[in-house]
Amino acid sequence: MTTATTTRTAARVVDAVKVYGVGDTAVRALDGVSVDFPAGRFTAIMGPSGSGKSTLMHCAAGLDTLSSGTAHIGDTELGTLDDRRLTLLRRERVGFVFQAFNLIPTLTVAENITLPLDLSGARGDQEWIDELIGIVGLRDRLHHRPSELSGGQQQRVAVARAFAGRPEVVFADEPTGNLDSRSGGEVLGLLRSAVRQTDRTVVMVTHDPVAAAHADEVVFLADGRLVDRMESPTAEKVLDRLKAFEDVRS
Amino acid sequence: MNASVRLSMSSLRAHKRRFAGTFLAVFLGVAFLAGTLVMGDTLRANFDTMFGDATSGTDAVVRSADAITTPGESQGVRQPVSTALVKTVERVPGVAAAAPSIQGAGQLVGANGKAVGGKGPPTLAGNWITDPQLNPYRLAEGRTPARSGEVVVNRGAADKGHLKIGDTTTLRTPDPVKVTIVGLATFGGEDGMAQVTYTGMTQADAEKYLTARPGEAATISVRAGPGISQRQLVDRLTPVLPKGVEAITGQQSAQENTDMISSQFLTIFTTFLLVFSGIALLVATFSIHNTFAIVIAQRTRENALLRALGASRRQITAATVVEASVVAATASAAGLAGGIGIAAGLQGLFPAIGFPFPEGDLVIRALSMALPLAVGIVVCLGSALMPAVRAGRTAPLAALRETAVDQSGASRVRAVTGLALAALALGTTLTGILVSPSLLLAGVGAVLALVAFVVLGPVASSTAVRVLGSPLDRLRGVTGGLARRNALRSPRRTAATASALMIGVAVVSLFTVFGASLKATMDQTVSRSFAGDVAVSTPSFGAGGSGLSPQLAGAIGKLPEVDTAVGLGRGVAEVDGKGRALTVTDPTALARTFDLGTVQGSLRNLGTDGIAITRTEADRQHLTTGSTAQLAFTDGEKKTFTVRAVYGRSELAGDYVITRAAWSPHRTQDSDTLVAVSFKQGVDATAGKAAVEQIAAHYGNPQVQTRHEYAQSSAGGIDMMLTLVYALLALAVLIALLGIANTLTLAIHERTRELGLLRAVGQTRSQLRAMVRWESVLVAAFGTVGGLALGAFLGWVLVKASDGASDSAFAIPPVQLVVVALVGLAAGALAGLRPARRAARLDVLRAIATD
Repeated sequence: MTTATTTRTAARVVDAVKVYGVGDTAVRALDGVSVDFPAGRFTAIMGPSGSGKSTLMHCAAGLDTLSSGTAHIGDTELGTLDDRRLTLLRRERVGFVFQAFNLIPTLTVAENITLPLDLSGARGDQEWIDELIGIVGLRDRLHHRPSELSGGQQQRVAVARAFAGRPEVVFADEPTGNLDSRSGGEVLGLLRSAVRQTDRTVVMVTHDPVAAAHADEVVFLADGRLVDRMESPTAEKVLDRLKAFEDVRS
Repeated sequence: MNASVRLSMSSLRAHKRRFAGTFLAVFLGVAFLAGTLVMGDTLRANFDTMFGDATSGTDAVVRSADAITTPGESQGVRQPVSTALVKTVERVPGVAAAAPSIQGAGQLVGANGKAVGGKGPPTLAGNWITDPQLNPYRLAEGRTPARSGEVVVNRGAADKGHLKIGDTTTLRTPDPVKVTIVGLATFGGEDGMAQVTYTGMTQADAEKYLTARPGEAATISVRAGPGISQRQLVDRLTPVLPKGVEAITGQQSAQENTDMISSQFLTIFTTFLLVFSGIALLVATFSIHNTFAIVIAQRTRENALLRALGASRRQITAATVVEASVVAATASAAGLAGGIGIAAGLQGLFPAIGFPFPEGDLVIRALSMALPLAVGIVVCLGSALMPAVRAGRTAPLAALRETAVDQSGASRVRAVTGLALAALALGTTLTGILVSPSLLLAGVGAVLALVAFVVLGPVASSTAVRVLGSPLDRLRGVTGGLARRNALRSPRRTAATASALMIGVAVVSLFTVFGASLKATMDQTVSRSFAGDVAVSTPSFGAGGSGLSPQLAGAIGKLPEVDTAVGLGRGVAEVDGKGRALTVTDPTALARTFDLGTVQGSLRNLGTDGIAITRTEADRQHLTTGSTAQLAFTDGEKKTFTVRAVYGRSELAGDYVITRAAWSPHRTQDSDTLVAVSFKQGVDATAGKAAVEQIAAHYGNPQVQTRHEYAQSSAGGIDMMLTLVYALLALAVLIALLGIANTLTLAIHERTRELGLLRAVGQTRSQLRAMVRWESVLVAAFGTVGGLALGAFLGWVLVKASDGASDSAFAIPPVQLVVVALVGLAAGALAGLRPARRAARLDVLRAIATD
């Protein structure tokens, strides 16, 4: 089983370099990162502030473009796509969960969940969506507006939306950043069970060792470089690893 | 610099683009206003100069003292003076020269067979005064008329008719006179006195064709010898003049001419323009208010933070007010410059379209600058005041709250107030129209209706947008659905944006409905009271045209096809102390071709001392058949007439009818305005019309129209007025569109994150653009529908209030209103273009960045 899942990558970047600005003010946010995110796995990207973890996620997901190197979703190289194709790729093959402002305030819960499908004009897999709604536990809230939900509930809606179109990979950017620990735990549990039960792929950026501990593997970034990977992380192990970076840097 | 000022300055610097719309709205309104004022002053001053120049050689004018002015006419009718007076005047010591000035109507026929002018300004003919200093026209080319049939025309008229020296054409006086052009003239250095056409003939010709009897002239122009002032000249002339004749100075005469042009043309023209700049500024008020309201809403967090840090309410309010003042002052100042530019542009444009604009510098009075400046600042500050006060009320805690969907607009209080206002408006209007007819009450009701619409806007907007947008979900899927919901987000904002367009559209529909109703009324009038088969008339309105030859009716009457042909002429007299228009005709024939309603007495034998009056006039003056009325004519004669008939319908026949025999001792230049013809039994209408046309061709080729055509053409002026109104309203609509575009741009700024999210989860740029565009169209649709409803209502009020309710028809022209609606929607799509493009350019990453 392990062989089957590790040989297939859902997303990867090769020699990724991202430079912001020019001349003296240029910042190398990514400095030659090569990393692949295996399908059917929950991967966390960790690193201190400014390590380039958000940039890595944005470039891998097709939200941003690399200065050099390549980014792939499945077998598609993102650099060859124009804005329209990139948008369609995001719509059909990628899901997103952000830290905040994750839902459209004018749409109901149900409409928010099916938004990417509606945008493409597809009917979507009703059974799958129904199952998702069951998993996130919002069946009685389907016709509410986001403003009538708690922060945790809103984020669960965002998770359901991210998986609604059966994307190849879901990117989550600090999904628990705005939540208390109980709601955060629920959201992470959801992501994890989505990966386990339905064979989805999730890539999550976080700076919280507890959150990272829910992942199958943690990728550590520092100063725009990949510095370490850790299988089956626990909060303590991740915290120790992060402390080690701090010591090296200081 | 105090804190408030510093805050507003930094805010202005940071958000320059947000105020671009406000700036433009104020700028356009103020520029239009200032331009109108400057142009009005300039025109007035230049006409002054032009008349001054043209008549500088005339030191005194001798004319009849009394003028009779009928309602709706600014220039009175004066009895001519005898040309024999010239000799008397010349003998007065100090007079260097005197010349009779004969004036009448004379319309030239152009090279293409069509009459020149006649669409408003007078078409004049007169004797070419041989003393160059007394003649306001100067010979520019060719020579003066020496023989009968030779004429000089002003260059503007010649150009318009494509006539040149040596050409032979027809002059309708209204009897057609064959004339040869031997010279071209200018007036005060211009090609003509505005659009007035002038034909100068020999004195003998002028006396023959333009006066009732030879030996009469409209006035006598007098030139003083050296060392004699105009005043002295008048003082010397006065004792020798017979009773009823007066002398005025040349200056006074020029002044009267200028005043005449001012009151007839300039004042109406500028008032008209001022009304439209008022509408434009009213529309601008909504746009400006909206911009400030949104900017304040967006700055809630910032203001709350300031409040939390210790800023007082007053400081926050002051910061916003200062911001508004800066925008107001710069935009108004720029508007003044723009206004001067507009006036200068028009000065250049007018001659290009064949309207000789007298030359001269722009006249910029302090008032024409101060007034628009003040209005611009007041409008801008007034619009910003409420938002500024609201900004001051920001609670320090608001910094921590997230406001997603604003439901403020749809409050119960607002709904109740709005409905109460609407009921009050309807009640007042209906009372003003139906119960006790009063223009004032109806007007107050109309204004209340407008206020009610504006108050109810936010309440109505939710329902209206939901209904108007319901096809969108099906048509455009989620994009349409999102657009609809975005338009529903802030009812108050949507309503305020739409209100601007609503007012523009309302005024457009008001005029459309009013115009259509006027046409319908004319149509109804003609079909009801015109019992003849064809009507002969000259296509002209205003003071132009020369009417029909009085011989025409007789000539047509001799045709074998024709049963009756009756000519209607026009006379004036004072009845009961007021100037009245008289219909001069053959009353017996009149009764056969017009439906006069119920007639009491008989029109058969009016003779020279009988008169027929309408029921309304008779009732007003307590007259019945057999009673007498005194008529005072322009020649000073008072004559007692016996009322021989009282008739019911006056639309075409007029209020007073007398015979030609009764009028002829008092008449001036003789002409008919209409010849009504009815055919004999069994005569084919087409054949009859052709026969009449053949006769008419010998009399200057006036228009021969069937009853239906006549009704249609009577309304010809209305279309021209409407075109002008539409052109002027385009400005108001443009400002409304700027408002929509500005609101959308600000809303997009506000929704940056949301748009970013939509893009991230797969909304394509074109879907995003469509979403913004549809929102714009929806807001425009709401404004347009509201405007159509309000405009139709106001049109109804205007129609019913302006004319004693009974006679006027109310018509809603469906085609025109559909066009107005489509233009409104298209305008909405247009307004959405730029914001949509800007929204689509949005950087997804920046938009979703957490801070």
